[in-house]
Amino acid sequence: MSASYRPSHNSPFGPDRYSGGRDTVLFLLSVIVATTFLLGPPRWGEAVASTIRGTVLVPFLWLQAQAEAGRDLRARFVAVEAQRDSAAWDAQTIPTLRAENDRLRSLLRMTERIAVSYRPAEVMRQTQITDGRTLVVNAGSRRGIRPFDPVVSPDGLVGTVLTVDRATSVVMTWANPEFRVSAATEDGSVLGLVAAAETGSNNEPLLELRGVPYRDTVPTGTLVVTTGLGGIYPQGVRIGSVVGVAREQEGWERIYMVRPAVNLGTLGHVLLLGREEVAAAAMQAAERAAQRPQGVPRPVAADSTPAPRRRRPVPAADSTVPPRPADSAAPPRPADSAPRATAPATPVVTP
Amino acid sequence: MTRGGGWRSFAVLLILLTLHFYVRPRLGTPRYAPDFIAIGVLLFALRARPGQAAITGLFAGLLTDALTPAKFGAGMLANSVVGYLAAWGRSVFFADNLLVTGGFFAVGTWLRNLLVLLASGTPMGQLWLEAGVWSTLQALSTAVVGVVLAMVLRGWLDLRIRE
Repeated sequence: MSASYRPSHNSPFGPDRYSGGRDTVLFLLSVIVATTFLLGPPRWGEAVASTIRGTVLVPFLWLQAQAEAGRDLRARFVAVEAQRDSAAWDAQTIPTLRAENDRLRSLLRMTERIAVSYRPAEVMRQTQITDGRTLVVNAGSRRGIRPFDPVVSPDGLVGTVLTVDRATSVVMTWANPEFRVSAATEDGSVLGLVAAAETGSNNEPLLELRGVPYRDTVPTGTLVVTTGLGGIYPQGVRIGSVVGVAREQEGWERIYMVRPAVNLGTLGHVLLLGREEVAAAAMQAAERAAQRPQGVPRPVAADSTPAPRRRRPVPAADSTVPPRPADSAAPPRPADSAPRATAPATPVVTP
Repeated sequence: MTRGGGWRSFAVLLILLTLHFYVRPRLGTPRYAPDFIAIGVLLFALRARPGQAAITGLFAGLLTDALTPAKFGAGMLANSVVGYLAAWGRSVFFADNLLVTGGFFAVGTWLRNLLVLLASGTPMGQLWLEAGVWSTLQALSTAVVGVVLAMVLRGWLDLRIRE
């Protein structure tokens, strides 16, 4: 027992540093306050958290932003330089592709594509063990961030902005139990809803692709992307790839496990997109779909559709092939859904 | 705790808060980097009454919950309980020994993380991984840094720690 404290005869436990009444009252008060926030409506906590981030924590968050910016500066510089070189090389073909895209869009009588602006931000990691379900980023209302702005990284979808302060924002990530996003396989053949999985195999954090009709199968390795439905997330952002079937309801639906494209544990830098531009782009896509000219096929449907399932192989250097007459070319795909090359997929379930 | 001692404790908490936000991001992966807020609560609990330590834990939890609002209140509850138990346990059970103090920091941090996980409704599979691996690593790194800080600050905070 510590010799630094004076024993007390009032307490059955010895030193007077342990006392009954006042300490117990203070402890119970703490527990009651904490439990009230824990069990109360989330808006109470959000209001208090926002106030604290906007007042007491402002200087500390500024310090953390400086520390995050200075961390691994050299390694990040080398990585960014490599990315810039790759991007510069890829950009060589952009004028050709843009001209080709403009020509095809005019053939389809489509309007100009809406550009979505973005604002970069650093992730400020916290030590609390539940960090990852929400992230604090160093961009707030001063930089035009608004609630429900979509958040992405170069790897794919991260989540959406939950609350915004002047200099910081809280992002709800895909690991949050309340996260939902409308999703489809890369070729658009299977639609569903992606949400955080309760737990994955090997306890790795996974997502679930829910609401897939029982008659449709999704091969392992299939890329899952956002559909843009709902006007929150832009279309075509990578969510993850299918790793297998989680569970199924006989004759009704199948739920697939999806390995997220973005590793939240190593995420350091994100892009916050303009929600209104994303919504406008989604609206434009919907209008385009409604006014699709005759002769342009709808997207290839699921297994249940009698149409041929296999996509026609796309030449590797598509943009270098001289333009062919429109009537002899393969039917163009709907806008914004141009496929990327994917690894060969193997089916996991065959009903 | 005297008035002078109270101000010294407050100053130490402020310094630890600064270290938490400015130094910790440079100490590697955040999942097992030392938690200076936990060190602050436990250092305070070393010399305060259980009720005072519980209130300090409540405010420390308020700060962490404001930055991780996935389940607001979980950090407050966990830090309050750990602060109270640490102050109570320290006065009743612990010797003024360096290794025991290190264990005190490690167990306090690990218990705080476990309570946060439980209060946040973490699924069981994930809970074992978080509590068994990441929390343990964070508890160990926090214990090392906590012991160093306790040795450095023992004169100022009137801590009696024998090597």
